[in-house]
Amino acid sequence: MSPYEFTNVLVAIDGSEDSRKALDCAVSVCASLGAQLTVLGVEGKLPAYAASLGEVDDVKREKDEFFSRVLAEAERDAHERGVEVRTDLVAGHSAEVIVHYATAHAHDLIVVAHHGHFLGDVLLGSTADRVAHHAKCPVMVVH
Amino acid sequence: MEPVQLAAILSGTVLLASMVSVEIGVSVALIELAFGVVLGNTFDLNPDASWLVFIASFASVVLTFLAGAEVDPDDFRERFWASIAIGVASFAGPFVVATLVAMGPLGWSVKASLIAGTALSTTSLAVVYAVLVETGLNTVRVGKLIMSACFVTDMCTVIALSAIFIKPTVWFPVFLVVSVGLIVALPRIAPWFFGRYGDRVIEPEIKLVFAILLALMVLGQEANSQAVLPAFVLGLVMSRHYRQHRKEQERLRVVAFAFLTPFFFLRGGMNVSLGAVFANIGVLAVLAAAKLVPKFGLVSPLARRWVPEHATFTTLLMSTGLTFGTISALYGLQAHIINRTQFSLLVTVVVLSAIVPTAIAQRWFSPDVEAERADDARMRLVPDRKGRGVAEPVPAPEGAAR
Repeated sequence: MSPYEFTNVLVAIDGSEDSRKALDCAVSVCASLGAQLTVLGVEGKLPAYAASLGEVDDVKREKDEFFSRVLAEAERDAHERGVEVRTDLVAGHSAEVIVHYATAHAHDLIVVAHHGHFLGDVLLGSTADRVAHHAKCPVMVVH
Repeated sequence: MEPVQLAAILSGTVLLASMVSVEIGVSVALIELAFGVVLGNTFDLNPDASWLVFIASFASVVLTFLAGAEVDPDDFRERFWASIAIGVASFAGPFVVATLVAMGPLGWSVKASLIAGTALSTTSLAVVYAVLVETGLNTVRVGKLIMSACFVTDMCTVIALSAIFIKPTVWFPVFLVVSVGLIVALPRIAPWFFGRYGDRVIEPEIKLVFAILLALMVLGQEANSQAVLPAFVLGLVMSRHYRQHRKEQERLRVVAFAFLTPFFFLRGGMNVSLGAVFANIGVLAVLAAAKLVPKFGLVSPLARRWVPEHATFTTLLMSTGLTFGTISALYGLQAHIINRTQFSLLVTVVVLSAIVPTAIAQRWFSPDVEAERADDARMRLVPDRKGRGVAEPVPAPEGAAR
């Protein structure tokens, strides 16, 4: 038996066009392998060093509303293509939460998009780079 | 420089700060403060222009009111004694140590030392809240305890800040009676007033709050005191009303953050002299130690008693500071109790305390929220004799294996 029987796939999305491509790719992989898909919405960080609770609440609420739409669309698309799917939403540092979530839920493949934020990528490395570096399972980076 | 010219420059800076804040995900207040430092140290702008002083002062009172209004008193009741103990220790330790250090080795005046003690004893509820919400810890016991303790520290800070400025005049009893009267009356008349006049584009409910806060400022000034304590308590007694009428609170926040608070933080930054900070790095380190060492010395043992697994995380978050620290320092500067060098040092320590302990807590000591949720499920809150929540383990069902 191959050590790479992908049955529990995780795709992380942030609502961008690039992450949409990652979702499409993950759905295709799951459809062809009969794997279960988890779509993880990653809200990213809240305003650091806020001066009022309201500032945090406002951003959190906006993100929750945005991601509930994005995740509902992702769920509908996956269902239409016959893939069993569940969705979840987490906040925090993208790479950290993706790796942590995949480990905690025993995912055997992570699919992420490669974003093209030039300055951030050059200085810090992209989220995809960091996920690939720290994940405990195979990682598929979608360009 | 003409007032309109200064206003135009500052408004442009405020706009730029908002854009940078959105792009890099750092609070707009911190960016405004930083941009204020750049403006103040690069251009010949007057941070003491009367209109700017007035708006910044009013903004500080509105910020204090909002800080009270955003607290959920029900959360605070959950772990009453632990919150009180950690919150009071978090205030009292740095307050006493920083005051004594400033008065002794640094040779500051008594009042300036008390301002230093107040500014450095603060804990930023908002900074802590962002960390907790981001990790989901605001929904578990440890997060709620930290929030409640922060609130207690805030309360101690506003009491201290009011007490420092008191030099009672004949107006003081009037200030006191009106403050208590408003605190009792506003939550009672608010439902009628907001129902009758609220929800309109002309915003009578915001005008009511502003009129009351301005009246408190006038009376506070006449009484040689500050409106900060009544403003905070007024916000607190209104918090339940705002919880049921979120839109009203949001509109008030929009007005405050769009027009008032940017000038408060910009002015704070403009008064920071980078030259004074670099020339006094040693004093800066002493003041930072006067804040952090007592926080660790007093909060850590208490945190170890109530949240033993997360004592360091709790202590680090209780060591943060931002809004009330800046307000305290700016009040001191405005009242000529501290000079610009002392103000620069205090604000620098306050800003560093917003950034450094938070970063360390998030990076190395952040609890696993799932484990905390599982832990919470094994505990339950039972009321003590006074109806305050005390955590105790859920008893195992009869016949369950031990």
